[in-house]
Amino acid sequence: MSEIDMAVIKPEMMKSYIWLQTSDGSIQQVEQEIAMFCPLICQEIITKGMGSSKNSAISLPQQVTPSTLSLILDYCRFHQVPGRSNKERKSHDEKFVRMGTNRLCELVSAADSLQLRPLVDLISRALARKIEGRTPEEIREIFHLPDDLTEEEKLEPLKNITDDPRIRLLNRLYAKKRKELKERERLKNVEIEEERVDERSVDDLLTFINGNDRDAKAVKTSKSKKKNRKKKDQQKNSSLKDNTALDKKELNGHDTGDQSSDGNIIGETSNLLYEEDGTFSPKIDFDDGDLDDDGIEPAIREKIDREVADFARRINSDWTERMQDFLTSGRERTSTFSATNGNGYLRRHA
Amino acid sequence: MKKAAYSFPEEVLEHVFSFIVSDKDRSSISLVCKSWYEIERWCRRKVFVGNCYAVSPPILIKRFPELRSVTLKGKPHFADFNLVPEGWGGFACPWIRAMAGAYPWLEEIRLKRMVVSDESLEIIAKSFRNFKVLVLSSCEGFTTEGLAAIAANCRNLRELDLRESEVEDLSGRWLSDFPDSYTSLESLNISCLGNEVNLLALERLVSRCPNLKTLRLNRAVPLDRLPNLLRGAPQLAELGTGAYTSEMRPDVFSNLAEAFAGCKQLKTLSGFWDVLPSYLPAVYPICSQLISLNLSYATVQSPDLIKLVSRCEKLQKLWVLDYIEDDGLEVLAASCKDLRELRVFPSDPFGLEPNVALTEQGLVSVSEGCPKLQSVLYFCRQMSNAALNTIARNRPNLTRFRLCIIEPRSPDYLTLQPLDDGFGAIVEHCKDLRRLSLSGLLTDRVFGYIGTYGKKLEMLSVAFAGDSDLGLHHVLSGCDNLRKLEIRDCPFGDKALLANAAKLETMRSLWMSSCSVSFGACKVLGQKMPRLNVEVMDESGPPDSRPESSPVEKLYVYRTVAGPRLDMPGFVWTMDDNSALRIS
Repeated sequence: MSEIDMAVIKPEMMKSYIWLQTSDGSIQQVEQEIAMFCPLICQEIITKGMGSSKNSAISLPQQVTPSTLSLILDYCRFHQVPGRSNKERKSHDEKFVRMGTNRLCELVSAADSLQLRPLVDLISRALARKIEGRTPEEIREIFHLPDDLTEEEKLEPLKNITDDPRIRLLNRLYAKKRKELKERERLKNVEIEEERVDERSVDDLLTFINGNDRDAKAVKTSKSKKKNRKKKDQQKNSSLKDNTALDKKELNGHDTGDQSSDGNIIGETSNLLYEEDGTFSPKIDFDDGDLDDDGIEPAIREKIDREVADFARRINSDWTERMQDFLTSGRERTSTFSATNGNGYLRRHA
Repeated sequence: MKKAAYSFPEEVLEHVFSFIVSDKDRSSISLVCKSWYEIERWCRRKVFVGNCYAVSPPILIKRFPELRSVTLKGKPHFADFNLVPEGWGGFACPWIRAMAGAYPWLEEIRLKRMVVSDESLEIIAKSFRNFKVLVLSSCEGFTTEGLAAIAANCRNLRELDLRESEVEDLSGRWLSDFPDSYTSLESLNISCLGNEVNLLALERLVSRCPNLKTLRLNRAVPLDRLPNLLRGAPQLAELGTGAYTSEMRPDVFSNLAEAFAGCKQLKTLSGFWDVLPSYLPAVYPICSQLISLNLSYATVQSPDLIKLVSRCEKLQKLWVLDYIEDDGLEVLAASCKDLRELRVFPSDPFGLEPNVALTEQGLVSVSEGCPKLQSVLYFCRQMSNAALNTIARNRPNLTRFRLCIIEPRSPDYLTLQPLDDGFGAIVEHCKDLRRLSLSGLLTDRVFGYIGTYGKKLEMLSVAFAGDSDLGLHHVLSGCDNLRKLEIRDCPFGDKALLANAAKLETMRSLWMSSCSVSFGACKVLGQKMPRLNVEVMDESGPPDSRPESSPVEKLYVYRTVAGPRLDMPGFVWTMDDNSALRIS
């Protein structure tokens, strides 16, 4: 019997089918009432009369692959049934979006091209949930996106442009240092051997800052101190990697070198001084009986003072014993509430 | 090998972004890559600027062309303790002018600790057709005339909240400037106004706004007018009473009780100035539905407070005076198992002797009895390491812990030792602690603990503590998430500051007053760190008239992409390249 005969005999048993062509060229038949759930398909059928035969198959947008079409049709098949409760629909949708991010991305593109708003909504929310609470690096990983913002763009700095390659190099090193500090966070719970500081790079930086005629001896003094560090449980020292490892290309193409880079180095390198001597490490075990009540032996404190003063001298030749001279002046005892506002009450929302 | 980046249409990505609302997440997505940065900035609708000098209006407007909601904060937090002299800054006008030009569709402005003029309010009133929300928190500089402009022109206003602002109250008439056709008010907070408002206008306003959910009256609204107001707004969820006293008349009481009982949705109560204790029972009918109770102006004694609080089994937030005493806090601990936040304010902070029986024990009881307690602000006169230890172990879920022992440098009252170990226990056990205020006798050790354990700490307030630069160094080098650090009267100086200069760029701001930071060090810091504004405040004259080694009176350092500010008063100097050259 032909299809038409069947239709005459049992019309209520006959569903109409629509022909759809996916991006790979393959053509398939789909129940009309399900396909019509997609506004784009609906439009093609009604306004252009397409889809009634294999030859007039509706050519779907190129984002719609056979697998995504299959998923979309599953979604439509569920939702086009009337009489489902909201709870049922919600439960279905929650399960429906449980798939990998790549598939979700493909699916949302396809749904968008078919103008299937509810599904776009559903997947968008699911993707948003994958993004919330994540760092930019994590988001890049998840969506396979390039890290193409410059350090400067990430900070939105002043438009400070200089062509000095030393400044740009310092910038790069600083950025690397920051990355390494972040790496350290991740490796916190792992037993790490103390890594040797590449002392050459610190010297090179100081040479950059102060010009090549700096007294090398001052630098060497601090080097020997570093070798004497105590072996206590410490955080892995962030170290500036050997700068010969830098590609030459990193010197080009960055249009901002700001003056702050050498200022940053004050902080970075001094942190090294502090961290390498176990006394200053934040990881100090305070139950250690060796420590005095105030936590620092005077001899060590003196050594640190000297190191810092030394370093400060290198930074600014005008800066000498002034830094040591100021006193902690005694303050009069004042109440913590030296003033309230005019109405005489403490702010409640402070 | 990495898979190729998946790209979908911009509109779809925008749609995904529309579900991402928190400032932190928006910031994260803008840092992912160039294309996301671009898309994100065009669809950002809400922005929070924690320091109005960290960025400038043109920069903001250029990056986010389609904002609907802006929040700005001005003066440093210590301004609340009068440590920031008048005229320091935080002027809202340049922002409001700029936004008036750039954002005709702006709907919400929230300002905190800023100076707002009547002129600014008039600009807001006339520039934004769809203006909905104005929150002025701890602001100053405007009068009721400015409010009149808002009332008269903002047809779509939903929220007007003046919490804790200083308003020059010229006349209560401004309230009448809301036109009769205006019915969209949802939230009104005028609790800071000194004078009487036009009560008739208020009653009419309240009764014609069917969506009014929050109404916080000022002290001048008499108690006997409250029932009328409540009857006009039975849908109220949050109420701040006016003065809670009147001649004791039975009809006033029964009227009041009935009116309260009619407010089935009332969940938050505040106000309660000048409380007459015999009127407190009028609120009993709704106690069981209350989740937030602010009795911080209610000068009633412990027994009355106990009777009230013990009926509030759903209470999540309680602000109260220390009249509640240890006994009252014990009852609180037994009755209010859902308590999340407790603030106990001092009734007599300047008195030399304790006037109430409130000790560390009260806080210990609450920490034992209230498993959901997360946020604490507690003023008291004695504390011990043992108590702090107990509190820490009881409540590792604390996120905000601010302890104010009234007398500076008070030791553990039992052992006479510093309170280092007690606070150490707090930071060690409360791993999600984000905000901490220290007090009592403290040495550098406590800062060692904080640097070691305070990994999630974002804001730290320190006064009269520490021995040396090491203390400051521990905090700056150890607290990875530190955003705001405010210090007064501590022996911290140049070394720790300069050694941790880079850290300051990762923070919002640092305040140091009455410490030992020399002028010379400030100059060095300012010179070397162009992305920081290093501001020295000195009301006794220019700092370069004294030796470089003299300590500066006040230092405020904050990161910025807007360069040194141009609106400084005479007693503030920015340390940057120019100033350093000029002086040396």
